[in-house]
Amino acid sequence: MKKFTALLLTAAITLTGMMSTVSVLAEDVQLPREETLYFGGQQWGTVNSYNPIGTNQNNAMATTPQLIGSRTLMFETLYMYNFLDGSLTPLLADGDFAWNDDLTEMTVKIKDAAKWSDGSDVTSADVIRTFDIGVEIANGVGTGYGPYIDSIEAVDDKTFVIKAAVTEDGVPVNPLKVNDFLSAVLIAQAGWIDAVCERNNNDPTAIMNDAAEDVVWSGPYTKYFDDDQKVVLIRDDNYWGQDASMWGKLPVPKYIAHTIYADNAATEVAFKAGEIDVDQQFLPNIQNTWLEEDLPISTYMEEAPYGVCLTMPTAWYNMNNPVLAENTALRKAIAIAVDYDTIIANAMTNQSPSFADVPRSLMNPTEGEQALYDHEAVADLQWAGNDIDGANALLDEAGLTDTDGDGWREYNGEKISLNAVCPNGWTDWMAAMEVVAAAGKNIGVEITTLFPEWDTVQTVFTNPNQTEYDIFMWSPDGAGPSMPWGRVRQFLDGDLAGIENNWTGNWGQYKNDRATEIVKQIPLTSDPEELKALYTEAIQIYLTEVPSFSLMYRPAVFHAVNESVWTNYPEEGDGRNIPPADCTDGYGIAALYDLELVG
Amino acid sequence: MKNTLRQIFHSSKFVAGFIIFVGILLLLIIYPLINPGNPLEMIGVGTFAEPGTYVSVYDTVTTETETLKLPDAAVKRLGNVLKEADRQKMADWLSAMEIDVSGLDLSDTDALLAVWKENYDETARPAGMTKAERNYYKRLNASLGSLGSAGKMTVTEKDSSGEEQVVATIGTEDYVNVKDVPNTKNLVLGTDNFGRDVLKELVSAAGTSIFIGLIAGAVATVIGLLLGLLSGYLGGLVDDIIMFITNIFTVIPGFVLLILISYSIGQDKRGAPVVALVIGLTSWTWTARSVRSQVISLRNRDHVNLSRLSGHGLFRILATDILPYIASYVVMAFILQVSSGILAEAQLSLLGLGPKTTEVPTLGLMMNWAMLYSAHLNGSWWAYFPVILMITLISFSLNLMNTGLDQVFNPTLRD
Repeated sequence: MKKFTALLLTAAITLTGMMSTVSVLAEDVQLPREETLYFGGQQWGTVNSYNPIGTNQNNAMATTPQLIGSRTLMFETLYMYNFLDGSLTPLLADGDFAWNDDLTEMTVKIKDAAKWSDGSDVTSADVIRTFDIGVEIANGVGTGYGPYIDSIEAVDDKTFVIKAAVTEDGVPVNPLKVNDFLSAVLIAQAGWIDAVCERNNNDPTAIMNDAAEDVVWSGPYTKYFDDDQKVVLIRDDNYWGQDASMWGKLPVPKYIAHTIYADNAATEVAFKAGEIDVDQQFLPNIQNTWLEEDLPISTYMEEAPYGVCLTMPTAWYNMNNPVLAENTALRKAIAIAVDYDTIIANAMTNQSPSFADVPRSLMNPTEGEQALYDHEAVADLQWAGNDIDGANALLDEAGLTDTDGDGWREYNGEKISLNAVCPNGWTDWMAAMEVVAAAGKNIGVEITTLFPEWDTVQTVFTNPNQTEYDIFMWSPDGAGPSMPWGRVRQFLDGDLAGIENNWTGNWGQYKNDRATEIVKQIPLTSDPEELKALYTEAIQIYLTEVPSFSLMYRPAVFHAVNESVWTNYPEEGDGRNIPPADCTDGYGIAALYDLELVG
Repeated sequence: MKNTLRQIFHSSKFVAGFIIFVGILLLLIIYPLINPGNPLEMIGVGTFAEPGTYVSVYDTVTTETETLKLPDAAVKRLGNVLKEADRQKMADWLSAMEIDVSGLDLSDTDALLAVWKENYDETARPAGMTKAERNYYKRLNASLGSLGSAGKMTVTEKDSSGEEQVVATIGTEDYVNVKDVPNTKNLVLGTDNFGRDVLKELVSAAGTSIFIGLIAGAVATVIGLLLGLLSGYLGGLVDDIIMFITNIFTVIPGFVLLILISYSIGQDKRGAPVVALVIGLTSWTWTARSVRSQVISLRNRDHVNLSRLSGHGLFRILATDILPYIASYVVMAFILQVSSGILAEAQLSLLGLGPKTTEVPTLGLMMNWAMLYSAHLNGSWWAYFPVILMITLISFSLNLMNTGLDQVFNPTLRD
């Protein structure tokens, strides 16, 4: 009898086990492939909320505010930035915005058709509340735009005025940052924000981490499903944007899905297998996928560099290290000894224009920015790289010689020994750092690579007093309404030196009074000639002083598509002017309205 | 001694392992003499050049030519550009553009090319055709450019005044002897993601790995041997203490310990010798245990008791009365430790916890970079497969030697 009971128990336990497995399977959503657009390379962990004012949240598909164009699948911005031509296309906004003559007040209208998912109108009050709550709880909106926007005031329900912050002399602090606000900030509903504040007793941390189960959205997609395996958004068929004043139709895919992969390699395998349609990931030698593997994969451009390069990953010198701070010659010598062709061909597998094609400056390789400075005036300061003799001569001249005959140069009797750092697993950057280290070997400066985990790297290089990293890699911002000023600032603004938890710029803690002054002047200058002179001077300082040196150009987002299921993605020269921004960012979202099924 | 050696070399397994190992060592010594230079030099601009002989195109233009009339040259040349599948694809494109190709013989190259050149339009977007497919046709069309014009190709150079001067005219029947070309490079195993010569790197890396293995093996064996001898011979409290420590190290998985230590040392301090030392320090436990048990069985033998009665000291007894009896075992343990040391380095480096990368190549680092650049996904087998083969051969040969020795020295296995 005992045995029988035991058997029965075992059977019961096994059965329960099987039942629970079955129920898990049933919960797993099966999405029709022909109605789903799969993404890769954006979401790396379980999403923690759909909270648009929690700018610290990790929900990449639903809430990603960024300068090159915020992701407007679920929440929307006033304007959509297009990094191809720098234009702003109205989304929630109606028509163009208008500055007054002093650049102190900007008037913006909101589309009549713009509605929230609960059917109420998007109004000036929503924009105002989104900005105010940002300042109150000090989220990304508050810290990013609070210093530049004094207040936003409603004229009527659909019209509001942004009052720029002004200095004591009555000049606006920075009108360019107000432009950024228009295209980067995701607008949330005022009523919903009030509800969130109330249930969290106005505690800033709690508000930012609110799970936002009841969130109200204005975009074409909303939450459908998420777990530790994937996140799925579903189309909102009542989306206001099907009004003729906006898109006039709904986006084509019914579902937006992102499987959460372990790493780049897993994502790459899935992309090649056609399980991902749009991939935001650096794929080394991407041309082999079509040249040799015959896969239906394509990029925005058919030829190298395959994408629109908007930023330049840069090696920053840490000015807290006296050897680097006191020796401009050393900084320049390392920079001119590095073999950039090798970095671009090997580390970037040619997915970057060369420095011969686009000489180094503070500008990204787009035509618009390249036209902003005088190439002739800085031509003498340029370097081609791999100039070992030149670098050695510079160092000898500066007195940084090998005094004890060990093959390495000394400064004040001590061997110059530097490390070159980037996060572990960031393949192309790691390879670039290896090339920098190899250059050091050639000129008698010991450089060893160091690849700590990302968590460590980010706490060290944002600390203004760090002395652990000597040369480290980080990218300035790519594009946005306030570029290239924003980038000049990131490279040269001495006012950014010394601030704690610094994600803004000048990570090398470089200080140059004239450069800092130029950074202040540019936003207030409107005369193109004057502007050009300022930019040129900034570049002259940059190339002479070498506080950092760019290693390659790189797309701000990678955009590769597998046309196994969907086609008619944006391509160069198709006349649609849709940027390759993964069909989601800024004006890139327009691509979703044109997609077609293959065959 | 002589007799022992003869016995050892009678074991076919030992001899096989020995030959492989010596072969590898010879390669390590001889290859750098043939192909000297820095193994980490990045000679290739670009990643993963395929194995093969590379001939300077620039030099061939000015090298003296011979005319060879080879009957199938034209067919081969055509076949390189226009494959069977491509012809079908061309017909598909034409059909998609509603051009009648029903009467066209696809094997008739001239006719096909004529229709193609007349109709193909790069900007056309046939209905239902993806961008990837349109790109394919653009590439195909570009590669067809030189076909059909059976004439000569001229190479020009800009002279000092900027005028184009004809340097050479190349016909379809001109050949150069590879021996006459001043610059050719034979990359037996191609290049890796940094454009480094894989074979050169492999040889240098195998040397480093064997060096790491030897140090790790020596450290582990010395520690294990000392502790095993002491604890086995002395017994009592000393035995208890030593076994207590050994047991603790045995229950903690060695590799986890290895990872933790390597991680906390920090990458900037991890040179090859340090990594070797760490591996050695975490893998001595089983040597200690087995030496101890052998010593326990030896310590009450008559000659040991005699030696003790004669008043010999501890170390003399250990060295002259015990060690010789377990020497063969220690040598075998050492060989296995070397082998596992090499594997441990490879595993560590694969995880990015090996020696810092800029100084010396190691087998593990080569695999680490090959994996980071997805060589295993993009078909660049030469970047990782020879490395795996090398590791396998080294540890295989060491293990073979060990088994051979075992057969000679272990009475229960003796034939």
